[in-house]
Parts: sequence; C-alpha cells; structure tokens
Amino acid sequence: MQKKKICMVGDFSVGKTSLTQKFVNNVFSEKYLTTIGVKIDTALVDDTKLIVWDVAGRDSLSPINVSYLVGASGVVLVADVSRSGTVSGLIEIWQTVKQRIGEVPVVVALNKADLKGWKIDSQSRVFFDQQGWDVFETSAKDGNNVDTVFKKLVEIINCDLRATK
Amino acid sequence: MVEANLQQQINAQLFDKLGLAYICVDSSMAVVDVSDNLSRYGYDNIFIGAQIEDGIDFMFGLDAQTQIDLPMIESPSGVIVSVSLLPSENSLTVLILDATTQAKQRQLLQQKANENELLVERQDKLLDQLEFASQQLEHKNEQLEEASRLQTSFLSGVSHEFRTPLTSIIGYTNIIEQSLQSSTDSLAQFTESSANHLRAVQRSSRHLLSLVENLLDHGKLDSNAIILRPKANDLAELFEDVKLLLKPLSNAKHIELDYKLDITDSTIVVIDDSRLRQCLINLLGNAIKFTDYGSVCLSAELQDDFLLVKIDDTGPGISPEDLEKIRLPFWQAADTGKAGTGLGLTITDRIIELMGGSLEVLSVLGLGTQIYFQIPAPKLLEQVNSDVSKPKALFSDMAVLLAEDDHDIADLMVMMMAERGVHVTHVENGALALEALESNAFDFVLMDIHMPVMTGYEALAALQKANNMTPVAIMSASAVDADRAKAENFGCYDYLVKPVDIDDIIEIINQVAIDATAKG
Repeated sequence: MQKKKICMVGDFSVGKTSLTQKFVNNVFSEKYLTTIGVKIDTALVDDTKLIVWDVAGRDSLSPINVSYLVGASGVVLVADVSRSGTVSGLIEIWQTVKQRIGEVPVVVALNKADLKGWKIDSQSRVFFDQQGWDVFETSAKDGNNVDTVFKKLVEIINCDLRATK
Repeated sequence: MVEANLQQQINAQLFDKLGLAYICVDSSMAVVDVSDNLSRYGYDNIFIGAQIEDGIDFMFGLDAQTQIDLPMIESPSGVIVSVSLLPSENSLTVLILDATTQAKQRQLLQQKANENELLVERQDKLLDQLEFASQQLEHKNEQLEEASRLQTSFLSGVSHEFRTPLTSIIGYTNIIEQSLQSSTDSLAQFTESSANHLRAVQRSSRHLLSLVENLLDHGKLDSNAIILRPKANDLAELFEDVKLLLKPLSNAKHIELDYKLDITDSTIVVIDDSRLRQCLINLLGNAIKFTDYGSVCLSAELQDDFLLVKIDDTGPGISPEDLEKIRLPFWQAADTGKAGTGLGLTITDRIIELMGGSLEVLSVLGLGTQIYFQIPAPKLLEQVNSDVSKPKALFSDMAVLLAEDDHDIADLMVMMMAERGVHVTHVENGALALEALESNAFDFVLMDIHMPVMTGYEALAALQKANNMTPVAIMSASAVDADRAKAENFGCYDYLVKPVDIDDIIEIINQVAIDATAKG
C-alpha cells in the first residue's frame, strides 16, 4: 500500500483540525481549541494510506513552521469563508509553502460554508483560478465536501505521480 | 563488562528522567539502535532491522541526510514531543524529547491570544456592519425624503391643475344659478332640467375639490407638513357653522341631525378652527352618508380645557373585522356602494392626533356607530369683542389691484367684487402690477403666484425692496405650508388658497380698511 503525506495549512481557527477530525474520525466539536505544533493522523483513501499533518495555524505573531511540510506530497489550503482575511491570506501562505517544498498539488477548502452572508473577494477567486486549483466550499460542521477535498487531493497526487512516471 | 552494563543502566535512567528517547537508523532508514523508553511515547513497533517509517508516521517522507527539528508533535501516547533529526556520515539519530510542559504553557498563551484576535476581528466586523447599516439607513432616509418631496410636489401640481378650472366652474355656475333665480326671462329660457344639470355640475365640482383637498392633506400628514394654526375661536359658533353646512345633506336623506352642546355661548377657546371644522365635517359627513334611517347626533362639552365630542348614528354599524381597518388610507367598506376616497377618517384620526388628542370608534353591526374624540382646547381668559370680528363694510372707496394671468378667474373676481361695490383694476402679471403700483395709488393688492413674465413671489420681493407698504394678499392654488411660509417671508398681508371665497376677500379688504383707519 502506498503512503502519502499531506499537510493542512491556513490561518488559525479556520477549521483545519475540524476538517481533519471529521474526515478521519467523523467527529465535530463547536469548541475552539488551538493546535500547538502538529497533530498527525492517518486515513485510508482507496489504496492509499494518507498521513495527514494538521499543522498549527498562522497567526499575527507566528508564521507556519515549514519544517512540518518537508516530504509532503500535497497540501490542503484551508480558509474560513466568514473571515475574508483568511481567504486572501492563502495567497501569501502558498508562497511560503512553495518556497519550502515546491509546487505540490493543492486543493482549497473554503470552510464554514454553512454560515450565512459570506462572499469571496474577486482577487482571491482570480488567483485560485489562475493556479488551476480545485476549490471546495466545505463545512466540517455538516460534513459537506469534507471527504471530497481529501479524495480530490489524493487523486491529483496520484495523477501527478503517473504523469511524472 | 560490569562497568559497561552499569553505565548503560545509568544512561537509561538518566534518559528516562529527562524524557529523552532515541532511535538510530542507517542510510537505508533501517533501525540499528533504540532507547528502552521509546514505548513511553507509544512507538511500540520499532525494533532493530525495521524500517523506521513503518513504526513512526512522522518519519514518512524524511531522509537520512536532512537535519531537521520538528517541535511539538503529538505522539501516539498523547504526550507532546519535540523531535530532532541528527544526520551523521552513514546514519541518522532521531532524538525524541518530552515537551509536555512547554506545550501546555504554549497552549494557554496561544489559546488566549487567538481568542482575543478572533474577538477583535468580530468587533471590527460588527463595526463595519454597523457603519454599513448606518449608511444604508441614511440612503433610505434620503430616498424617503425625496419620495415625500416628489409626492408633495405631485400633489401640489395636481391640486393646482384641479383648482384653477374648478374656481372658474364653481364661480360661473353660481352666477348662472343666481341669475336663473332672479330673472323670469332667464327662467323662461332655461328649463328646470337645465338648472338641475347646473346643480349637478356644482356638486361634482365640489366633490372633486374635496377629493383634491383630502389627497393633499394625506400627503402633507405623511410628510409632517401640516402646521396647526391655533387661534381664538367661538366654539358654539363653529359648531353651528358646521351644522348649517351639513343640514342640507341630512335633510336630503330625511334623517335628523341633532346637537347636544354643553358649551355656553361666546366660549372662546384657542384651537385651529379650520382643522376642527374639517374633522367635524368628515365625521358628521360620514355618519350622514352611511345612515339611511334614524338620526345622527353630535354631543360636545368642555372639560378641563379639553373638548369632548361624541357622534352617534343609527347607521348600519361596522363589523369588528372592518373596525380594525377603517383608519387605513384609501380603505372603504366593500358593500356600501357609497362614493368616497377612503381618506376622510384616516386624515381626521391623524389630525386629532396632531392636535394632541385621540379618537375612538365603537360600533355594533346593525345598531350604529359611536365616535368619540377629545382634543386640547384651552379657554381664553380674555373674551374677544365679537363686534370686532364682524366689521362693517368700509371698502366702498378703496382701490384694489388684481394681478391674475387666468382671464376666466380674473373676470369672475372683477365681476363678483363689483357686485359688492369694490372697484378692481386687473393686470396680467407681476411686472404689470409693479408698473400699476408705481403710477397709481392702490389700497390693496390681490396677487396670484404663478404668472408669466414675473411671478407673485418676484413682485412681492420687488415691493419689499422698494419699501412699498401696500398690503398684498396672495392667491395661490398651493395649500402647501412651505409656499405659505415663503409668501409670508416676503411680507404678504394674507394668503388665500384657491378657489377663493369672495366673502373671505371682502373680509380681508375690510380688515385692511380697519388697519388703515387705526393708523390714521
């Protein structure tokens, strides 16, 4: 069985842990508990063992620790749709990721889509389009698109792998 | 040998105390050595010869050549560890250190910092929303003000369009009717049915006028543009006037119109008489309109500077469902077949509220309706001299100038005033009025507002500038208070709304004569 390491990255409190826990253990909690360092979980996607690194979010004082990204085959960029800064912030976060591990496959999870009254700014939309990324509106709360995000990333990684071979 | 074992035991105890574990792998990442305390962190599948990434997930994707620090990883046993990868020539040592204490402290600080930042973000967002809502509200207010202005302007325009021809229609039909009554020759020429037709024209014209006035009042009430003008009034006389006005209506329907007034004659109260009159006419008019048999009775009394009025009728009554709707604008009962705008009670209710009073409607279907209202009506302590309010005719030798561009109305007014013995000179606009005033002495000027060449306002301004003190009464088709205020600012003597009642003009001319006499 092949193994793949992927990393969940994004600003703090966007729901990286919630998405991971919903995907791996099918659990969700409304309570916010900030992640310190990294939590590593594993899950099976078809015949691939996925090693998911749930990396502590970026905040105003501390950047993402890029050491955690080493060896990752792909990343899930996560933002909170109700906080526009976390969506536009993905552009900068991607630059950081790319600098450390290069152009790995990416999917974007616009999380907390169950909330009302949000809108994605056009600049971010254009950037996501230009990168050719798959963008999903997700909700760890009701499970919407959670599995899809991970499955899509595995699919892209495997596709990239086949193309390289 | 013993010494080596001892040293090994000491090292193991020391490592355990420090919370330090290690794994050594060769260049192919196969395990060559491990510390005894590794199971403390839940890494149980590590044994000599095994591939390290098979037993430790965080090692997947890493190689033997890279030196790297991976702080604060949650180990399978739940203990937070910090990992350092230390490569050497043909091997790699993985050091695993318990970081529980450090992680707990970090967790506390980071949790607080993040929660604070979220609070600040939420606060900023709420402030933005508040500002947006405030801007929206301001925008809506501007739109409403504009809509209200447009409505008032529309009503004013419509009112003007209606009033001008109506003035002419009502005046001429009056004259024809009077001439029919006084001349036998005319009677011979006009059949009785022609006279009836003329009366129908008059009725329709007056109805149109009342519709316009109701619409205008409704618009003004909506934009808070109605200004009350309280002044000293004889209450008993006011009630009697209204009765005289409505008596023909009740007579025509063969119903009684009774008054029970507990108000002594010559009781003077401070009240807007025209608005009270309007309310009484609306309420009594409605009662008469809807009552086909029996009576309409008005009771009124003064109590502690409040006027209490009750109107009873023996009409069909109002159902409880309809009672909830009767104050809504344009609402009319579906099955009555009575004409109206559905604005009378709405306007009355709002005028009474504006006067600081309240109106209540009680009704039983099949038995009739009772309407109560009370409004502040403070008594005037000093009684006015009733003789002063009815001056004798003093105008016989007064010279009056009329500025009016509508020839029909001008001819009518000249004719009607000539009948009262007033000599009137007619000009067609404000500029000609100024010329006439320069070349001849006039005691009084009647001036229209909307005229070609020079408007009434412009003429008033020019007179004010020239310090010409000739009293000028404005005749306007606009009953909007702002127009009245504008005319008053230019120093007009009085403001008359078209269609102008000839008696009102005569009364003003009398007053001008009295003022002139008083000044000597």
